[in-house]
Amino acid sequence: MYLAIREMRFAKVRYSLIAAIMLLVAFLVLFVSGLAKGLAYDNAASIQNRQATHFIMEKDSNARFTRSLVGEQVSERASTIVGEENVQPLGVKMTTVTAEGTAAKLDVTVLAVRPEGWLMPAVTEGAVIDSQSEGQAIVDDKLKDSGVGLGTVIVDQASGLKWEVAGFVSDESFSHSPAVFISGRDWQQLQASAAVRPGGVEEAEAGSNSTNYNAIAVKGDTDQARQLAAALPDAEVVTKTAAVSAIPGYKEEQGSLLMMIVFLFVISAVVLMVFFYVITIQKSSQLGILKAIGTRTVYLAKSVTLQVLFLSAGSLMISVLLVQAVEALLPSGMPFRLPASTLALTCGSFIVMSLIGSLLSVWKVIRVDPLDAIGRSAL
Amino acid sequence: MRHRLILRNITQTFEDGGMHRTVLDHLNLQVAEGELVAVMGPSGSGKSTFLSIAGALLEPTGGDVLLDGESIIGKEKQELADMRLHKLGFIFQSANLIPYLKVEEQLLLIAKLGGMDNSRASGRARGLLHKLGLSQRLSAYPEKLSGGERQRVAIGRALMMDPAVLLADEPTASLDASRGMDVVQMLACEAREMGKCVVMVTHDERVLTLCDRVLYLKNGRLTENG
Repeated sequence: MYLAIREMRFAKVRYSLIAAIMLLVAFLVLFVSGLAKGLAYDNAASIQNRQATHFIMEKDSNARFTRSLVGEQVSERASTIVGEENVQPLGVKMTTVTAEGTAAKLDVTVLAVRPEGWLMPAVTEGAVIDSQSEGQAIVDDKLKDSGVGLGTVIVDQASGLKWEVAGFVSDESFSHSPAVFISGRDWQQLQASAAVRPGGVEEAEAGSNSTNYNAIAVKGDTDQARQLAAALPDAEVVTKTAAVSAIPGYKEEQGSLLMMIVFLFVISAVVLMVFFYVITIQKSSQLGILKAIGTRTVYLAKSVTLQVLFLSAGSLMISVLLVQAVEALLPSGMPFRLPASTLALTCGSFIVMSLIGSLLSVWKVIRVDPLDAIGRSAL
Repeated sequence: MRHRLILRNITQTFEDGGMHRTVLDHLNLQVAEGELVAVMGPSGSGKSTFLSIAGALLEPTGGDVLLDGESIIGKEKQELADMRLHKLGFIFQSANLIPYLKVEEQLLLIAKLGGMDNSRASGRARGLLHKLGLSQRLSAYPEKLSGGERQRVAIGRALMMDPAVLLADEPTASLDASRGMDVVQMLACEAREMGKCVVMVTHDERVLTLCDRVLYLKNGRLTENG
């Protein structure tokens, strides 16, 4: 402690420079982490926020909602295994709508759920819908920015179906597009309208009285999931995590951001390693003197580690403040999210990486021989 | 008379390119308290090895070193470090102060390592530095000091834990004649006043008059006459 602090006080410029580099790296790490988290949320919130543990999808749909189509009978079979209250159908359709009275087109994802079921998010503004309601929708409040309000009628471009906005939910989106929740009845119409188009899904045509959904959401444990998979050979049971990563663009987005974060961590460790190694080599004769006059090696090793800790914790603290300031300044549409858990994890990893970076110097400190303090030319 | 430093039958051999080289050959030395001993010898005679062994930095191939009656043989590295801290004071060729510590802190560091409490340490450091004529320079960094001042700080640092033995490795090498004399004078003074034994390896013949004994390292042994 005594040595570590006094050395930093003496060589202010040197240590400030390295602190500045650390600060920039730490800031970037935090910012990219926030962005990754924000994008993930923006991309998958509507699946992530659901209470389901698994989704039953059609075989060979590769865990993608939009590729899968499952009928009522799957839902019934699932009910017998995990219980009716733990099964909910989910319809997913990415489409383009226009708000009546405006010309702007909006990309949205229509999510069909049982309005009373546990897939329906809590309405933050306006009224709830029920399964009897027709032509009504609960939409994500991001659509407010596009001029959608309570009572606005939105028109589906492909089918011409109209829904009146009855209420809003917040933070609901799928593949970066705002979510529009509709009831099963409207979904049925939407499916029927799709089926009349040439090249539409055959099954929808065939079973016009039974509604097809994209997936069946299930609440159950791994054991039940295994039973489901066995009972439904024509379907695949995917976990929520797998379903989330299969959302178009999700894996790619998160993968590249994660790679950046990992690289930044490695860079911070290497920068610290090189800096402290060079400094330690530079002062190795001094370390020899200190050892010769009776300083324990542990004390010197602690001293280096403490300096590394001090620098990384200091620059981390400043960059956390910076990132929070930047977060406040960012426009609301920017997908940026840095919850306390991510912040703590990122900071923790940063400290661990810097400690790893200090290992080389510690090893060097241990290796210094106090004998070098005495001119060994006589040997 | 108490002997605070005793080297008994010290032998040191090195493996050098397959050749067996004996640097120290049954070397004996006893230094009493209050005594300043100068050790001279041409380069290559084993002065550094002698100092390293007397300074508990190197365990000899054979023989025994007693510091205040305690042997350094068979000790762990940490125990040796503690012995060096408490029983020995080193003064190196070119002061070798820690560049980022102020004069007073050079001494306080040693106190801290030795677990001396703060108020006592600061009193002792000031007392020593006053005696060494450095009261005006307590908060100067080593780079601002003259060579003589640095060497005096080094003496203060060596004395901080009140060691039994002071070992000086050519302390006057980087000083001019009069400052060199001053430094050795101080060492002799310390030895006498505080009952320490001082061993000084030197090339500097001018300072020999201040020493109680002058020994020559020859053929791995210490002898009285060159």
